Amino acid sequence: MISALFYLQYHTFRNRLVSRFKRLKQPKYLIGAIVGGLYFYWYFFRYLFRGYATGGPSAANLTFPPPHLLVIESLGALVLFVIVLLAWIVPHERAALTFTEAEVAFLFPAPVTRRTLIHFKLMRSQLRILFSVLFLTLISRSFGGNAWIHAFGWWLILSTLNLHFLGSSFARTILLDRGISNWFRRLLIAGLAGAMVFGVWIWARRTMPEFNLADIPDFKSAMDYLQRFLTAGPALYLLYPFRLVVRPFLAPDAAAFLSALPPVLLIFLLHYLWVIYSDVAFEEASVAASQKLAARIAAARAGNWQGARKNHKAKKPWFNLTSSGPSATAFLWKNLIGVGQVFSPRLWILLMIIVVVLSVSLGRSGLHHQLPVVMGACIAIALVYSLLLGPQILRLDFRHDLPLADVLKTFPLRGWQIALGEILAPVTVLLVFQWLLLLIEIGLLFYLPGSHGALFLMISLGAVTMMPPLDVLLLLIPNAAVLLFPAWIQTGKDSPRGIEVTGQRLIMALAQLLVLLLALVPAVAAFAAVFFPLNFAVGPPVAVLAACLAGTAVLAIEAGFGVMLLGKLFERFDVTEEHAG
Amino acid sequence: MVQVDGLTKLYGEFAAVSELTFSLQPGEVLGLVGPNGAGKTTTLRCLAGIIPPSRGTVCVGGHDIVRDAIPAKQQLAFFTDEPRLFDYLTVWQHLNFIARIYQVADYERIGRELLEELEIANKKDALPGELSRGMKQKLAIACGLLHSPRVIYFDEPLTGLDPIGIRRMKDSILKRAKDGSAIIISSHLLHLVEEICTRILILKNGRKIADGTLAEITRTFSEQSGDASLEEIFFRATSETSSSAPAAPPPLPH
Repeated sequence: MISALFYLQYHTFRNRLVSRFKRLKQPKYLIGAIVGGLYFYWYFFRYLFRGYATGGPSAANLTFPPPHLLVIESLGALVLFVIVLLAWIVPHERAALTFTEAEVAFLFPAPVTRRTLIHFKLMRSQLRILFSVLFLTLISRSFGGNAWIHAFGWWLILSTLNLHFLGSSFARTILLDRGISNWFRRLLIAGLAGAMVFGVWIWARRTMPEFNLADIPDFKSAMDYLQRFLTAGPALYLLYPFRLVVRPFLAPDAAAFLSALPPVLLIFLLHYLWVIYSDVAFEEASVAASQKLAARIAAARAGNWQGARKNHKAKKPWFNLTSSGPSATAFLWKNLIGVGQVFSPRLWILLMIIVVVLSVSLGRSGLHHQLPVVMGACIAIALVYSLLLGPQILRLDFRHDLPLADVLKTFPLRGWQIALGEILAPVTVLLVFQWLLLLIEIGLLFYLPGSHGALFLMISLGAVTMMPPLDVLLLLIPNAAVLLFPAWIQTGKDSPRGIEVTGQRLIMALAQLLVLLLALVPAVAAFAAVFFPLNFAVGPPVAVLAACLAGTAVLAIEAGFGVMLLGKLFERFDVTEEHAG
Repeated sequence: MVQVDGLTKLYGEFAAVSELTFSLQPGEVLGLVGPNGAGKTTTLRCLAGIIPPSRGTVCVGGHDIVRDAIPAKQQLAFFTDEPRLFDYLTVWQHLNFIARIYQVADYERIGRELLEELEIANKKDALPGELSRGMKQKLAIACGLLHSPRVIYFDEPLTGLDPIGIRRMKDSILKRAKDGSAIIISSHLLHLVEEICTRILILKNGRKIADGTLAEITRTFSEQSGDASLEEIFFRATSETSSSAPAAPPPLPH
C-alpha cells in the first residue's frame, strides 16, 4: 500500500516540476527564472561553487572554542525548548493530519490503515523538510562550517520537531477525549514550565552576580555570563535532551558529528514510535482541516490573500455610507472595513506592549536626557519606512480586488472613479499614520535644544502637505503594475512559486522604484526652483516651506493624471486575458 | 431593450464569439444554450460590458455598452454562476455599498424587502464566509436587483439552489419579465430553458445556429416529428452531422 502512496507523492512532485519547466517557454517566466537564478546564485550558491576565496568567511575561523560552543548549543536548545513548549500550550484543535481534498476523497474510503496514512503524511512532510534543509544550509553555510554536517544537523532538528508536533497533537487529542480541557492542559504545562524557570532563577540569584548591563562591556563577557547561567546550574539538565538534538548540527568535524549521532537518533526513534503507536482518531478533524485548506487555497487562487489567511469577523464600518454622493467614497468605506480586519484587538495590545517596552527601555537607558532627539530621529526613520513599506503592506486596493474585476466592471462608473476609490483606503490609512508621526515630531520640536526649531517646524509642515499626493503616487505604481502585468504581481498567497516568480518580483520591485524616481524628478525640480532663490532672499525656514508647497503642487498634478491613467488601464483591463498567463 | 449587432470576440486567432446578432424586447426571456465552449459566458460578459467586443456593437436601453457605458450599465444586472462577493462585507453592508454605487435612494426599504423575499433577512449581519452556497447566490441576486435593473443576465442561475430555491428563482425570473425586464439566461438545464424562456438562441463554436421560439426552432430542426423536446432539438442542432439522425450522447457504463 505504501508503494501506491509513494507513487502518488513521486508523480505529484514530478508533474509539478515538469509544469514549472514547461512554463519557462513563456518569456515572462524565462526572464524571471534567469533573474531569480542569478539572485539565488549571488546570495547563496556561489559560496558552494567558489568557496570563500572572494572574501567570505572561512570555515576554520568561525568554529567556536569549546566553552562558547557549549553556550551556543545551550542557546539552540533553549530555542527548541521554547518551540516545544509553545507546541504544547498554544494549539487547541484536535489532531488533524492535513490532506488535500482529493487525498481525503480517495484515501479515506480506501482500505488503508491509519498507520499507513501517518506514514504517508510523514513521507510527504519530508519533501518540505528537505527543501527547508537546503535553504537553511545555504544560509548557515555562509557562517562557516561543513555543509554536509549542517544539512544533516538541520534535517535531524526539523524531522524530530515534525514528529514532536505530530505526537503532541495526538497527545492533546487523547487528553481532550479523557475530558481534560485545553485550558486545564495549558495551565498545567505553563505551571510546570514556570516552576522550572523559577527554579533556575532561584539558583541564579543565589550563585551568580546580579545581571547588570554595565558589568558586561563586551561580547566575551556576555558569553561568559551566559555560559555560567546555562551550563553551570539546573538549566544544563533541563535543556539536556534539547542540547542532544542540536549537538550534531554544531559538530566541528565528522568525528564529533558521528559521536553526537546515537543519542539524537534514539530521540528520533522514540518520537517515531510515539507517533506510530498513538491510536488517535484523526480522520474527522482531518476532513474538516482539508476542507478548510481547500477553501483557503480557493480563496488564495482567487487572489483573496486575507481570505486565504484566516476567517473574517464582521466589522462595523468606520463611517456611515449614504446612498448619494461620490462613488469613490463607497470604495473607501468598503476597503476600510477590510482594513479593520487587520487591526484586531490583539494587534493593538501588541503595539501597546511594544510602545511600553520601548519607553521603559529608553527611560532606563542613559539616552533619556536626549529623548526628544532620539524620538525625532526614530520618527524620521519610521516616516521613510512608511513610504517604502506602506504601499507594499497596505494592499486593500486593486491588488486585493482584482479577482472581482468582473464585478467592478459591471458598475456604472468611470474607470477613474473606481481607480480613485480603490486606492483611497490605503492612502487614508498611510496618511493618518504619517500625520500622527509628524504631529508628534512637531510637538517634540519644542523640546529640541539649539536654534533650528523654526527650520525643522517648516520641514515638518512641508512634509504634512507633501504626504497626500506622494502617498497617492506611491499607491498608483503597484496598482498600475498589477493591471499591466497581473501575472507578475502577487495577488494571493497561493500565487505561482519558484525561482522564476522570485525573479519576476525582483524585476517588478526595481521597475516600480525606477518609475517612482522618474515621477519624483519634476517635483524635485520644482522644489529646487523655489528653494534656492528664496533661501537666498528670506532664509531657509520660509524657503523650505514654499519649496515644499511647490513640490506638493507638482505631485498633486501628477497624482491627478495618475488616477486618470489608472482608470484608463482598468477600463482596458481584460478579465479573461488576466488568467491567460 | 438589448440590440446586438455582429458581436465578435477574438482571442488571438481564436473566435470565442463570431458575428452574433440578435435583439431582445422588454418582457422577453431569452435562453442562451450551447455545448461547453460554445461562447455563452463570453457572450454574456460582452453584453454586460465586462470584456470589450473585438468587433460589433451591444446596445442596452439604447446606449452603447462601450462608448456610453455608464447609462447602459445603470440599467443592467449580471448574475454569474459563482456568486462573486466581498469577503469582509456583511450581507447588509453589501447592499449599502451597492446602493451608493447605483445611487439607490430608497435602498433600505428595497433591501429589506429583497432579503425577506429571498429568505435571508435573518443573515443580514453575516459575512459571505458564513453563508451556504445557495445563500451566497441569494445575496448576489439581492445586490443585483437592488437598483431595479431593466435588463438582467443570468449565467447558470440554478446552480447550488435547493428545490424551493429553484422554484422561487423561476418565479422571480418570470415576475421580472412580466414587469417588463428583458432577461437572458445561459444554462445547460434545458428543461429550465424550455419552461421559462420565450425565445431560444443556440450557440455552437461561437456562432449562432438557431434563434427563435421553441416552436420555430422545432420546425427548423425536427425532420420527423413536430413535437420534439428541446433536448432532442439541442442534440440535432449541435451535432457535427446536423443533417443526419440525432446525435444523442453515448450511455454511461453500468
